[in-house]
Amino acid sequence: MSPPVLKHTHRFGQIAAAALAALAIFSIGSTAALGEELKPAAPEFPTSYGKMQFPDQFPDGTSITLTQWSHFVPRYDEWFDQYAQKWGEAHNVNVTVNHISIGDVPSTLAASIGAGQGPTLFEMNAAPAAFIEGLKPLGDVNAAAKAAFGERAQTCRHSSYLPAKDIWYGFCHGWVPDPGVYRTDLWQEAGYPDGPVSYKDLLEGGAKIFEETGIPVAVGMSPELDSEFYTRALIWSFGGSVQDENGNVVFDSPETLAAVEYQKKLFENAMTPEVFAWNPASNNQTYIAGTASYIQNSISFFRSAQEIGSPVTENTGFRPGLEGPGGEARMPSHVWFIYVMPDYVTDKDKIAAAKKFALDLENNYSSASYYAKFYNFPAFRSQVPQLFKEGGWLDNDPWGSEPADKLAILGTAPKWTVWLGYPGYANPAVGEVYQTHVLSTMMANVARGEASPEEAVDNAAAQIRKIFEKWRERGFVGGGE
Amino acid sequence: MSKAAATVATARDGGALARLARWLDQPKVLAWLMLGPAVLYVVAFVGFPFVLAIALSLSDATIGDPSLDNFVGLSNYATVIQTDAFQLALRNSLIVTAGVICLILVLATLASELLVYSFRGKRLFQTLFILPWAMPVSLAAIVWLWFLDSTFSPVDWILVELGVLGPGSPLGPYSHMYYLGREWLGLASTIVADVWRMLPLATIIVLAGRLSIPEERFEQARIDGAGVFRILFRITIPALKPMLIVAILFTSLLVIGEMSMIEILTRGGPGHSTQVLPYWAYLKGIAGGSLAQGAAIALFLFPFLLVVSVLALRAAYRAQEA
Repeated sequence: MSPPVLKHTHRFGQIAAAALAALAIFSIGSTAALGEELKPAAPEFPTSYGKMQFPDQFPDGTSITLTQWSHFVPRYDEWFDQYAQKWGEAHNVNVTVNHISIGDVPSTLAASIGAGQGPTLFEMNAAPAAFIEGLKPLGDVNAAAKAAFGERAQTCRHSSYLPAKDIWYGFCHGWVPDPGVYRTDLWQEAGYPDGPVSYKDLLEGGAKIFEETGIPVAVGMSPELDSEFYTRALIWSFGGSVQDENGNVVFDSPETLAAVEYQKKLFENAMTPEVFAWNPASNNQTYIAGTASYIQNSISFFRSAQEIGSPVTENTGFRPGLEGPGGEARMPSHVWFIYVMPDYVTDKDKIAAAKKFALDLENNYSSASYYAKFYNFPAFRSQVPQLFKEGGWLDNDPWGSEPADKLAILGTAPKWTVWLGYPGYANPAVGEVYQTHVLSTMMANVARGEASPEEAVDNAAAQIRKIFEKWRERGFVGGGE
Repeated sequence: MSKAAATVATARDGGALARLARWLDQPKVLAWLMLGPAVLYVVAFVGFPFVLAIALSLSDATIGDPSLDNFVGLSNYATVIQTDAFQLALRNSLIVTAGVICLILVLATLASELLVYSFRGKRLFQTLFILPWAMPVSLAAIVWLWFLDSTFSPVDWILVELGVLGPGSPLGPYSHMYYLGREWLGLASTIVADVWRMLPLATIIVLAGRLSIPEERFEQARIDGAGVFRILFRITIPALKPMLIVAILFTSLLVIGEMSMIEILTRGGPGHSTQVLPYWAYLKGIAGGSLAQGAAIALFLFPFLLVVSVLALRAAYRAQEA
């Protein structure tokens, strides 16, 4: 027989458990109801967008092939394949979808352009301006989308239009925010209950956490995508940039130098050499392993961690861009979804079907965003009102975030998200600077003591100028006067 | 048809076949027939791409416009040579290749000495030994990536358990070596991974040579009182020289043109400190869009490789003659 006190405690426990269970059932019920209310509608395929008119059914034998990068949230690819088949059946078009590794998309497009044959549409993850001479202009699709869907995200506009040639070389249907990610438990303990707000906080708080726990700040300085984006976010937030609005190289500025000096301090006080040879998955792995206090990444790692039941999800917080010394906060889009059509596609039905597919996808983007678990943000925010509205998906994550509004901060992403080439447009020179890792190499050389900040900035600026001159001679970049 | 006419026709066919057989038997014709497929293969898959690469490197082709209509002379070569990334890539290509060859020569000779003898479990050993060569290079690189990972490396775990890595230990304050995040450790890691992958092929080549040395020569040496090392340096290695040169040639060509290992292990980092020419050519030419400059980088090693190949084959020929 249990002593009376224990018995009482036991009974109290039962009551508390029942109350909690009732509360949980109520919460699930109301979330489910909310989820039902906000769930994306069934796909609709109108026959006109702006001035573009399409047939209900395409002639027999019409087929299109899409080559696109394997999504980081696998659920999206499952949805997309079903959607594409449904679209094909509705339009009498045979649709083939090839999912390939994100790194293989540029080389596959290059090979197809070289061979003069291949898929009808390619989905690129960054502005493919260097391919422009091998691509069909998509001005009509972009104009139709603007007429039908309204305001376009600036990050999409600047990543699919080249003012120097006045050509829309791609149709950007979506983009991905790149927030800061921090360990709530570590930062609270260090005296930052909301995580780091500025780069100053990142240095001071990150150093304190590193000293006390040995857990470093994990922002990359390696020749890879995440490191390139972090470097740009830092430089932009300090007020520097690679080019100005007109395409003039303005990299070697006091602001850029200050950002590079900051990064050296951050490395010396709060980081380890692991960041020098990372690949795009490394910061995710390190964070999920519990050995990083702060990373900069899209939410795909968080969704993966949720799926494997990683305990780190409970202690994860998201931040918008960190503020630089002047209070500016700029983060890049993590990736983009940009459809391009190679010039070798000449069949009229194929061209029309591919254009309609792209526009229809944007028209049904609430599904795309939902099944990407909100990794995909729409190029046209009018298409996914559930994402941005108060009490919408980001405030009540139907994919199981705890608390349910953990991702709410992403709703402000359009305000702090910019693009490769900011404040100008993405262009082939900006693309080559990004793909040949000029900026991450500069940071790594300074952090490793191979060059002083001044030398590294001068060296990088000289490389950037040569790249810009080469593309400017071909008429792809403005400025230069 | 009468019986006589049929006989005449058969004789005529036989005559034609016989004439064809005689024509085919001529050494010149037979030689062309035997060599034809190989020549076609080399022209289509080596010669044509090679000439195309030269043409691209002398043009201003980009990834979106790969046409060869604008001749720019050697300006692409002049531009790429001046960059730090190219100079580091050239240095590293030579260091990695030389490092792999040195280790391969020692290890392949030792392995062939081991494999020439019979021992229990030899077949299993041979099978396991050949596995790295049978494995796709990208898979091999991923295995090494995890082996040397900055967070999950089992090597680090063992070193920490042994007390030689971690705070207050001889190898430093961190609990990880960060093999791929440090310039010389990164290069050394690449060399080790390449040796692991290339050793089976080199060993097979050297073993073929080792098995062709008459056993009597070793017996005679032993009777004359020669020890293990004397036999190795006075008999085995001189007799293996032609095969070792072939092994060097194959290994160097396969290693110097390989980019997957670096792409997966270090991506050329930190900075460009582990960059190699093939990967830099890919980044510049395909990823960066400057197809002509990428072609110039890729072709840069050709004269060097040509000289090495000619010298190596000549040395092998001379050694065989001797």
